[in-house]
Amino acid sequence: MGPISILHEIPEWLNLTIAFLIGIGFGFALEQAGFSSSRKLTGMFYGYDTTVLKVFFTAAIVALAGSQLLSYFGLLNLNFVYVNPYYVNAAFVGSIIMGAGFIMGGFCPGTGISAFSIGKIDALFFLIGGLTGAFLFAESYPMIQSLANAKYKGPVRVDEWLGISPGVFTFLLILVAILLFWLAERAEKRFRRPDISSEI
Amino acid sequence: MSARIKISVLLAGLGLILAFLPFNASRTFHLSPNELLDQQCKDHGFTVDEVARFMNVEDSTVQLIDLRSNAEFMECTIPGSINIPLQDLLNPDWEGYLNQSERRNIFYSNGDETATIAWTIVTGLGYENNFVMKGGMNEWYKTVMLSEFEGDRITPRENALFENRYRARRTFTKMNSVPDSLKRQYLEAKRLEESQLDGGCE
Repeated sequence: MGPISILHEIPEWLNLTIAFLIGIGFGFALEQAGFSSSRKLTGMFYGYDTTVLKVFFTAAIVALAGSQLLSYFGLLNLNFVYVNPYYVNAAFVGSIIMGAGFIMGGFCPGTGISAFSIGKIDALFFLIGGLTGAFLFAESYPMIQSLANAKYKGPVRVDEWLGISPGVFTFLLILVAILLFWLAERAEKRFRRPDISSEI
Repeated sequence: MSARIKISVLLAGLGLILAFLPFNASRTFHLSPNELLDQQCKDHGFTVDEVARFMNVEDSTVQLIDLRSNAEFMECTIPGSINIPLQDLLNPDWEGYLNQSERRNIFYSNGDETATIAWTIVTGLGYENNFVMKGGMNEWYKTVMLSEFEGDRITPRENALFENRYRARRTFTKMNSVPDSLKRQYLEAKRLEESQLDGGCE
């Protein structure tokens, strides 16, 4: 019964080993999906390549449907699964910075590491920039603390907010995903850019 | 039909099934009526003397659970108990206490009825290690707090029994006479910290 690390007292080294193996799988999947190419990632914003949307939305609905099925069969206790707390203002400002960084740098943090691992120089500088930003954030935290902690909503879930059951929310999200996949493929045809190579 | 349409139909079908499933199946009854009856027929109670002994030796394999209201709990309770009012039994915050296999949970209330209801619910949910204190607080007062030895000669067995009751009586009186503020501090300290995992993104 899961979550393993909460319900079973497993030693720290085993916990870290599991994290290590999942990390390898995640990095491998990112690289195989072509996410180490900033052309592919920024393609999402210009509409010529929507792999990012397809991969992350697929991951979201698989995880959502999978965790609910596991819960139904009594293998996973969803009450113990961590839900990120919601800070409204911080999420708003953070998402703008994240989006701007994503389109300018051509990576998000995870794909940056993935790209760096295959030796991309731009990824190296992207990561140095990311770490510098994290350092500056930590150093200036006392100054922006009031913004960072404003409008704290606690660990809310969208289904609770909408007042529907999690199963119905999953169903709606799957429908939204199918609609978006369809729109994304139309966008790919419309904004086709044959001059941009999908090779690394 | 293209592969894309097939996968879309499959996904939407799965979503439709999920829309009708209960969210948290671990919170539905697992036991069939027969299994529950079997469990009920087994001895799942402790006498107040046994509970007094657990309390005296501070047995860490036992968790006493007071099902009465918070006001009654603050007024007096068996030392070492936690308070889970019956109507709050299914609050997810308590699941860490109830759904575990290390300690024996002993439910009690004023009489037998509330404890038995709580026992039936948690046992039906498939949780292990649930017991009730037979007779509840009424029996505790009658036996542990008020009974006196009457007679000329005391057997070693009776001696041990009364020794146990007197010790429990002393601890009970001492613990319940501390001011409410101190009691609350003690209870807060006892509360398990909610375990939290660090979240992360890509």
